[in-house]
Amino acid sequence: MDNLAAACEQVAGYSSRLRKIAALASYFRTLSDIDLERAVRFLASGPIAVDSGKKFSVGSATLREAVLQVSGWPPDIAALCYREVGDSGETIGLLVRGKTACEALTLAAAEIYYARLYKARRTAEKVQLLQEVFSKYRPLTIKYFVKIITGNLRIGLQSKMVEEAVALATGTPHEAVRQANNRSGDLAAIAKAARRGTLHEIEARLFHPMDFMLAKPLEALSDLADPENWWVEDKFDGIRSQVHVDSGRVMIFSRGMEEVTEAFPEIALAMQSVEGRAVFDGELLAWRDRRALAFTVLQQRIARKKVTPAIQAEIPVVFVAYDLLYRDGKMLVDVPIEERRALLETALHHLPPLLVSSQSLAKSTDDIDYFFEQARARGNEGLVLKRFGSIYEPGRRSGAWQKAKRPYGTLDVVVTAAEQGHGRRATVLSDYTFAVRAGGQFVNVGKAYSGLTDQEIRELTRIFRSSATDRFGRITLVRPEVVLEVAFDGVQKSPRHKSGYALRFPRILRWRQDKSPADCDDIEHVRALYEASLAGPA
Amino acid sequence: MQIDFTAQGIHLPEIDLWLDAQQTCANSWISHGHSDHARGMHCRVIGTSATLRIYRLRWPADNDTPQELQSLDYGQSMDFHGARLTAYPASHIVGAAQLLVEWRGERIVYTGDIKLRPPICGSSTEVIPCHRLIIESTFGLPIYRFLGREEACQRIASFAAASLAEGSTPVFIGYPLGRGQEIVFALCQAGIPVAVHGSIARMIPVYEAAGYAFPGWVPYAAKDTAGKALVVVPNFRATLEASGRNTRSAYVSGWAALDNARARAGAEELIPYSDHADFDELLAIVQQSGATEVAVVHGYTEAFANILNARGVRASAPRALAARAEEELPGA
Repeated sequence: MDNLAAACEQVAGYSSRLRKIAALASYFRTLSDIDLERAVRFLASGPIAVDSGKKFSVGSATLREAVLQVSGWPPDIAALCYREVGDSGETIGLLVRGKTACEALTLAAAEIYYARLYKARRTAEKVQLLQEVFSKYRPLTIKYFVKIITGNLRIGLQSKMVEEAVALATGTPHEAVRQANNRSGDLAAIAKAARRGTLHEIEARLFHPMDFMLAKPLEALSDLADPENWWVEDKFDGIRSQVHVDSGRVMIFSRGMEEVTEAFPEIALAMQSVEGRAVFDGELLAWRDRRALAFTVLQQRIARKKVTPAIQAEIPVVFVAYDLLYRDGKMLVDVPIEERRALLETALHHLPPLLVSSQSLAKSTDDIDYFFEQARARGNEGLVLKRFGSIYEPGRRSGAWQKAKRPYGTLDVVVTAAEQGHGRRATVLSDYTFAVRAGGQFVNVGKAYSGLTDQEIRELTRIFRSSATDRFGRITLVRPEVVLEVAFDGVQKSPRHKSGYALRFPRILRWRQDKSPADCDDIEHVRALYEASLAGPA
Repeated sequence: MQIDFTAQGIHLPEIDLWLDAQQTCANSWISHGHSDHARGMHCRVIGTSATLRIYRLRWPADNDTPQELQSLDYGQSMDFHGARLTAYPASHIVGAAQLLVEWRGERIVYTGDIKLRPPICGSSTEVIPCHRLIIESTFGLPIYRFLGREEACQRIASFAAASLAEGSTPVFIGYPLGRGQEIVFALCQAGIPVAVHGSIARMIPVYEAAGYAFPGWVPYAAKDTAGKALVVVPNFRATLEASGRNTRSAYVSGWAALDNARARAGAEELIPYSDHADFDELLAIVQQSGATEVAVVHGYTEAFANILNARGVRASAPRALAARAEEELPGA
């Protein structure tokens, strides 16, 4: 574990992706098979094995309690330190310096600590274990021991890079490791197999979410050079999900790789009738009268803690399948789309709540325009185009799929609060809460943190620091002066904001230095957009 | 003795002496040459010879404003309005000094910016026994611990050598006065060719006058960087990167003790070395001074004062010296 920490520090110190991978690979090469498995697991999937079932849960309060005990610092000092550092593992590593016995920690021993933390039921027990770790081992090792728990290493190492390092360290083609990882999702086992040359024996493993293939946004339909070479489907505004089925056992994963089976009992029930084993890719939608309802409606159902028969009747859902990734022992990702489609159509009965998305063929850009309008008229977002003969590329946005949609709308809003970011943005105010006009006041309608350049964020940070009116921990309230233009995908009801509404997927388009807060949109406009979204297609 | 902490600086009214006055005043002690301490056209300026030289470079004489510059070098004393003033080394930048004010049996020490361990360039600090201590706390949190001089020099030289060996240009981000010259000094001593950016180069003579040799450095020229380490001010790093050269940057600073300095400074290599005391050094200075009352005037003042109070030293965080530090974080 000490060497793992040292390797991570080295990775953090390189900005080049190739150097990072090379540094990690040379660390991997030094490890025995069993330690390689442990190190890869810690870096790629976290403290415990991927298929352990129950989630590993050690929260920030537990970590805080343990570090306060060991370091002896009062909570306010520790909190200030965390605010300056922006990462739990790093803060803890810094605060326990001089308080630990600096013993060596092996990967095997770290694995045992993680297992004990995983099994511990009571918080006090977890705090006790963490105290032991924090007072016994080296500060740098403790830093990464905690980072593996919190799940964000912040050393500029994406999971794909661990995959590449495994390939490099074992002398295996990256593509082979990638495919195996997509089949089983267990990179630790794959690393061991790659070293032994038994990668081909890694079998597809159901009930772990695989990466989704993503569509590239198409600016304009007319940009498409060869309209006659694409399968055309509607783009739905629901929850992208993957359904895994094995003779009656069903699990549904959303794109955030979360399991959502319990929220959709009628889908799980219907899927039980699918024969054999299969993995479907598709969309969960609120559905009535043979058409999809707005996402805001589906949202109302997800918001419920318990899915009662009443809510199932009030807001029925369907799963519209559009791809088949696995069938009865065979991964299908490298099989052309036409074959996957044929297999998909035989796997489902095409009866609600399980549907198969319709495909059309276009002869010209005009046809595609027409399909787009049709899709919008059906209440869908737009189109997804899938290239003839294309394979399924998990986790990629390769351009074999293209999506055409229209943003729901844009608004001019004013920033009312700015929050410190995390990691590399820990020292700037990068997350902005914004508002629209309501009478003489401003009421918040959302929060966004993407879309501006680092330069703009730095400049805005300076402005917000000088226009601060109050501060609560990481959040700085500011005088409403800075106007942003935001795009969003819809409006939903929200108890979080005083306005009663929240924008969906707001993203900052630009900083409107030419506009003053008086030029912002008002709450009436937001309300009208919400009412319109309930009424039907825009 | 009465001490007033104001936004204009620290004032000792009984002897009408300001400590690092922020605005033009009658009499000011200047602890060192950084622009947040040495500023204003005071009638009478007291400081070490090196500090006065830096002050004069940055605040040139003005015929309409007659000024008296009075040097008070390490170990020297003078009588001033009934008090006795003595300067002691503060090992911050060249010329930096602490001031001991003795008045009616009371000993008050103003540290200015200070570190305890010997710096790469500059004199070693003596801790002055006193009753009351006025100290900074730029790095007054336990997360800040820095390298010693030897280790810092070794890290600077080895990063430069490794980068040059693989064909990259090592770029060191320093500050115009202090860190910049220390990095150049470390590189020169290690025999690594170095090109120095304008505002850092401008202050090298001040260090040479203080007895430090900088063999072989050249002024930075955009066309002639091959085989050289560059020492530049923070804002210039972006310019270098935009030029498309194969550069690797190192940030030598107290802020480099935290990983987020990588993103802030845009550097790969973090070398946590400062001309300020780290947390342990600050505690040691307070403890060794024997002061029973401490005023914390810069940085994490409230937090550090709380930490001292918890250790039984009466400490407060008066609001004063609100000006921005010269060692400003890039991007902050």
